[in-house]
Amino acid sequence: MNPVSRGIRNAFRNGVRTTSIVVILGLSIGLSLTMLVAQKAVENKIQSVKSSIGNTVTIAPAGFNPSSQANNALTTSELDKVKSLAHVSSVTETLAGHQSTTGSSTPSFGRFGDSSSGTDSTTTSLSSPITLNANGPGRFFASGGSSDTGTTTFSLPVSFLGTTDPSSVEGTSVTLKTGRAISGTSDTNDALVSDAMAGKNNLSVGSTFTAYNATLTVAGIFTTSNKSVQGTVVLSLPALQRLSGQTGDVTSAIATADTLDNLSSTTAAITSTLGSSADVTSAQEQADNTVKPLNSVKTVSAFSLVGAVVTGAVIILLTMIMVVRERKREIGVVKAIGGSNLRIISEFMVESLTLAVMGAIIGLFIGVIGGQPVTKMLVNNSTASTNSARTSFQRPDGMGGVFSEKISSDTTDTTAPRSFAGRFGQGVQRNGAVKGLSNIKAQIGWGMLLDGFGAAVLIAVIGSALAAGMISKVRPSTVMRAE
Amino acid sequence: MLEVKNLVKKFQSGDSVVTATDDITFTVPDGQFASIVGRSGSGKSTLLSLLGALDKPTSGSIVVGGQDVANMGDHQLISYRGKSIGFVFQNYNLVPSLTALENVMLPMEFAKMPKLERIERAKSLLAEVELEPDQMDRKPGRLSGGQQQRVAIARALANKPKLILADEPTGNLDSATGKMIFDLLHQLSRKENTTIIVVTHDLEIAGKTDRTFKLDDGKLVK
Ligand SMILES: Nc1ncnc2c1ncn2[C@@H]1O[C@H](COP(=O)(O)OP(=O)(O)OP(=O)(O)O)[C@@H](O)[C@H]1O
Ligand SMILES: [Mg+2]
Repeated sequence: MNPVSRGIRNAFRNGVRTTSIVVILGLSIGLSLTMLVAQKAVENKIQSVKSSIGNTVTIAPAGFNPSSQANNALTTSELDKVKSLAHVSSVTETLAGHQSTTGSSTPSFGRFGDSSSGTDSTTTSLSSPITLNANGPGRFFASGGSSDTGTTTFSLPVSFLGTTDPSSVEGTSVTLKTGRAISGTSDTNDALVSDAMAGKNNLSVGSTFTAYNATLTVAGIFTTSNKSVQGTVVLSLPALQRLSGQTGDVTSAIATADTLDNLSSTTAAITSTLGSSADVTSAQEQADNTVKPLNSVKTVSAFSLVGAVVTGAVIILLTMIMVVRERKREIGVVKAIGGSNLRIISEFMVESLTLAVMGAIIGLFIGVIGGQPVTKMLVNNSTASTNSARTSFQRPDGMGGVFSEKISSDTTDTTAPRSFAGRFGQGVQRNGAVKGLSNIKAQIGWGMLLDGFGAAVLIAVIGSALAAGMISKVRPSTVMRAE
Repeated sequence: MLEVKNLVKKFQSGDSVVTATDDITFTVPDGQFASIVGRSGSGKSTLLSLLGALDKPTSGSIVVGGQDVANMGDHQLISYRGKSIGFVFQNYNLVPSLTALENVMLPMEFAKMPKLERIERAKSLLAEVELEPDQMDRKPGRLSGGQQQRVAIARALANKPKLILADEPTGNLDSATGKMIFDLLHQLSRKENTTIIVVTHDLEIAGKTDRTFKLDDGKLVK
């Protein structure tokens, strides 16, 4: 017999008490673990939301709308000033344009005025791979031609994107399937098309097509799951500027701050550099809105965690005080026959540790079973109350509304009709991030198990500290007195 | 040799001060079997707990084997209680969660005796106090008073103490069992040449000891 085995044995001396204490402790440790799980899950989610949003600043011409498009394009020279700002690591400039398909009866996009970004009189030999819902366009053309119900007689115009960074379109990176990448800065007639576009128009690397009264060459074919990107031909920025006769013009730019921490200050610096000529928005505000409900979950779970640990410690504390009082005479006897305080205290510590560890085992089961549902419940409750975070704002992008299209077999189930507004803003991406809150993953890892046992040890030590003090005060002479 | 000099122990109880032992001086040579008698409340238990270093005297000295117990530090006190003293109490005071054998082994564990030796010695001590082998693995709750007291005597002898202090060891037992227990103490102390001081109400028992001290109201009167 040593203090350890005696301590363990003592933990089982009173079966009823041991059982009830272990169950109560198990519940409190289980609650702590559940909260720990929720905390970690929420923290991970906040991280992923933040990183998915990225540290980018979106720059668009101020008050850009179809009716006053004359003087509001951004220029390359303005953006050069942005490039030279501190903490701006890169600026991607894009120019968007559209070309109707040659020989097709094209919907009258000019209804809202000639579109800002280059839907002009020239046409392209390409046809868009994007198909329309049967009743989709009908909504838009109802006033123009009531007999038209949006069948395949119409083909959508093909989008052209001139960009300084052809490796990424609409915020998603494109993967080349065949061919080679193009430079975003050199003025050539090389273009990248999607595999869907290539398939629709029988294009392969080296094939040519016409647009803007010029002959363009397919340099590479990329894959993307984004439907609107599938209908987009990617060119270098100078190439599209030249072809569309908009030299120096840019319809949108995305500046990247060097770190997320510098996002706010960078956004402010860009705003003051460009003055009233541009709308400057960052993902910051929207990231804050997204993580706001998560932060409240974090707070709730942190309080519950502390509460549960304190509860556990108090349970052990009261139990050990009760036990010490009960065994006062026994403690006196052991002291009288040569037992030191340290020995007796360590025996009691082992006893309370045994109770705490048994509680922790029960608590682990509760944590494993309860972690995920409790996390979901907390997140759902708090995101429901701040649901406004889900609504996407429409950027005044010229094509918004005009080009609203419902895309058949759309893989993402965004409730708002996909619009070209989403092209330069990040509405779709944001929607996805917020929607992901309900898909929050709560998991118990080994680290968390260790945390649980750590908490149990902490509870046991804190809980038996006062008992230790009481033990050392027991006078051995108490054994001389009758019970 | 046990030398007690001018031993005073005062207790504060409420506003009044009780002088439990009042200037007691005596000596007991090694190997002697002494008894202490006196009315209830005369200070017998108090004197015994001072001798066994369970309590500190208000003043005076207790010298055992040349060492003054009153001047010992905490560590010395613990080792003194464990190795130099064996206690036997009226209500046995065995550890209820341990078996008879484990109770006897406990002081040897405190004295850091190797485990196998502990088991050996505990078994032979329990055999000496005539406990049946099947009773050795029982917890105190399943032993009679007399059997418990025999285990307590075996435990008191475990570390071969210089001094055994017994506070009314037969007080809870019928007279026949009490006599047996007393004879056992006597006999074992002879064998191990241990000094024994036993507190008793039983004058017949006191009469059999080498020497009897009588306490009255904290004072040594004989
Ligand atoms: N811890 C204490 N606090 C206060 N008074 C005490 C304490 N211990 C003993 N006394 C008092 O000291 C006196 C002697 O007590 P003690 O227990 O030594 O008597 P005793 O001779 O052993 O009596 P009994 O034969 O009844 O056991 C008593 O008056 C008692 O009330
Ligand atoms: Mg007494």
